Formats: sequence, C-alpha cells, structure tokens
Amino acid sequence: MSVSEIALAEGQISQGRGGEFRRGLAASTPVLLGIIPYALVLGAQGAQKGLSVVEVPMMTGFNFAGGSEFAAIQLWTSPPHILLIAAITFLVNSRHLLMGAALAPFLAHLPKRKVFPALFLMCDESWAVGLADAQRRAAQGLRPAFSLPFYLGAALPFYLAWVVFTTCGAALGPVLGDVEKYGFAMAFPAVFLVLMRGMWKGFAAARPWLVSLVVAALTYLIVPGAWYVAAGALSGLAAACFLAGDK
Amino acid sequence: MIDPMTVLAILAMAGVTYLTRIGGYVVLRNRTLSARATAVMEAAPGCVLISVIAPDFVSKNPANLAALAITVLAATRLSMLPTVVIGVASAGALRWLMG
Repeated sequence: MSVSEIALAEGQISQGRGGEFRRGLAASTPVLLGIIPYALVLGAQGAQKGLSVVEVPMMTGFNFAGGSEFAAIQLWTSPPHILLIAAITFLVNSRHLLMGAALAPFLAHLPKRKVFPALFLMCDESWAVGLADAQRRAAQGLRPAFSLPFYLGAALPFYLAWVVFTTCGAALGPVLGDVEKYGFAMAFPAVFLVLMRGMWKGFAAARPWLVSLVVAALTYLIVPGAWYVAAGALSGLAAACFLAGDK
Repeated sequence: MIDPMTVLAILAMAGVTYLTRIGGYVVLRNRTLSARATAVMEAAPGCVLISVIAPDFVSKNPANLAALAITVLAATRLSMLPTVVIGVASAGALRWLMG
C-alpha cells in the first residue's frame, strides 16, 4: 500500500458503517491483486508436499499468515515435525506482537469481544492500512481514530482471497505436475527477499540477517534435516541482542 | 484427504499464530519494550526468512545460483509481482539452457 493509494481511498466521502467498509475495500484492492500469484504458488507447493485440497484451505484459513505458511510448506515432511513447524511459525509471526502493541492504543474504545475476532484478521497489509488510517484520522481530530468497519473492509477481502486462491493453487498444482522444473521454486526466495526489502532499515540493522544466512547455510551443508532454520534464526536473534548493546 | 498429523500441525500453527496476533494487544498495550527487546523483535522475521532460503545460496546447481543472483537483484528494485515473475522465469530458462 503506497501513500498515494491511501490518499486515493481517503478522497472518498464516507457515510456510516457501509461507507466505512467500502472505504476499506477501496484501500486494500490494489494490494489484493498482488497476493493472488503467491496464493496460487503456495497452494501448488502445498499440493506437491502432499497436502490435499481440503488441508490447504484448512491451513490458510485457520492460520492466515502467508510468511509462516511458505516457511512451513518449505519444511513440510510426511509426517510433519509439529514442534519444528510450530516454532518456525512463532518466529516468523513474532512481528505480530509488535504490530498488535502498536495498534493497541487505538483499540481502547472497542470491547474485547470485538477486538479479539478483529485481531484474527490482522496481517501485514490490513495492519498497515488500518494503522495508517487511524493515525490520519487522529491527526484530523476524528474520534474514534480507529474505524473498525474500515479495517474489516480492508481485511476481509484479503482473508477470502487468500483462502480461495491457495485452494485453487492446490487444485491446479497436480495438473501442472512437477512445479520445480518450471522454476517455481524460485518464487519462495523471490517472495522472501521482497518481504525482507520491505523490512530493510539499513546495513547496520541487517547484520543479524547476514549472521542468520551464514550460519543457516553452513548448518544446511553440515547437518542433515531442517535444523538449519532454527540454527540460523537463533544465531541471528543472538546477534541482534548482542549488537543492540553497542548503542 | 485429511491426515490427522497434518491437522495437528495446522492447528498448532493456527494456535501459535493467533497468540502472536492477540499477544501484543494483551501483554504489551500498557508497557514499553526495552530498546534491546525491540531490536531483537524487529530483526526476527528477517532472520527466519533468510534462514529458510539459505540452502538456495549454497545450491550445487549453477543454473539455480545464477537465477538466485538475478532474483536478488530484482528484489532490491522491483515490487513483489515482477520479482516473482523474473525469479521463476530466470530459474526455468537457465535450467533449460544449462541443463
């Protein structure tokens, strides 16, 4: 979501809850189109790892966090290593803790029975759109700053598109055959690298990533199995903790 | 169609993910994180993502390494969709050309 797209969405005059919901829809539509290819790739890769057309939407519908699903599918074995997958899911999604903390002050006017279901739909995109809108409305003096119907309008289409198109990917994957030979495996590094570019805050902040890359690559070459992910991630976190001490 | 171990793994993922979604609101709403904890939390997603794709950086297939180099270059300049298209197309083409 670029600033101009938010500006476009805010140009519309909204009336009541329906208007707020439609304003949310308009704010999220451009990003929505962008996620469809990833949903298809994730579904196809899931099918290749042996997940059925029922299991793929179960994962994407219950979990609804793309980064962790890409990571889990990459590490998927039959039977799956449940603890490894849960731990990796936690590490990939630990950013939600910060995102939720940033959103918390704007949710104070809402009852918990509304906040808890709404937070289920919090993904990078809906969070970014929802928080940006709340900050803008706060600056304009509008109360409440956080508009729940706007947020739902931005978040619900993401949820539906993610579940529907990962299912399509799972159904179409076997028809395409070995997706590996078409080079689709490169979609993972491509998605991950663009996500990391979005998190980029300069070389100094990226030093833990380099530590993770080197340790994970060496572990992958030396130790059999999927331990390289845990080894790389934990050494990067240790580096981040150590480097934070210099400031 | 539905494997019990798969369902268990999916439920474990779903539970963990939902805890991260509500955790920030429940635990952190009335506190401020230390600078060190914030630095670790900010680095965490990138550390995990790069670790997952680390094997691609030490691939023994030259076509894959060349395609990865192109993909890295694309990722620094382009948005998600063109980067994925370029990554997949270069990997497919280079594998075909280089055997």
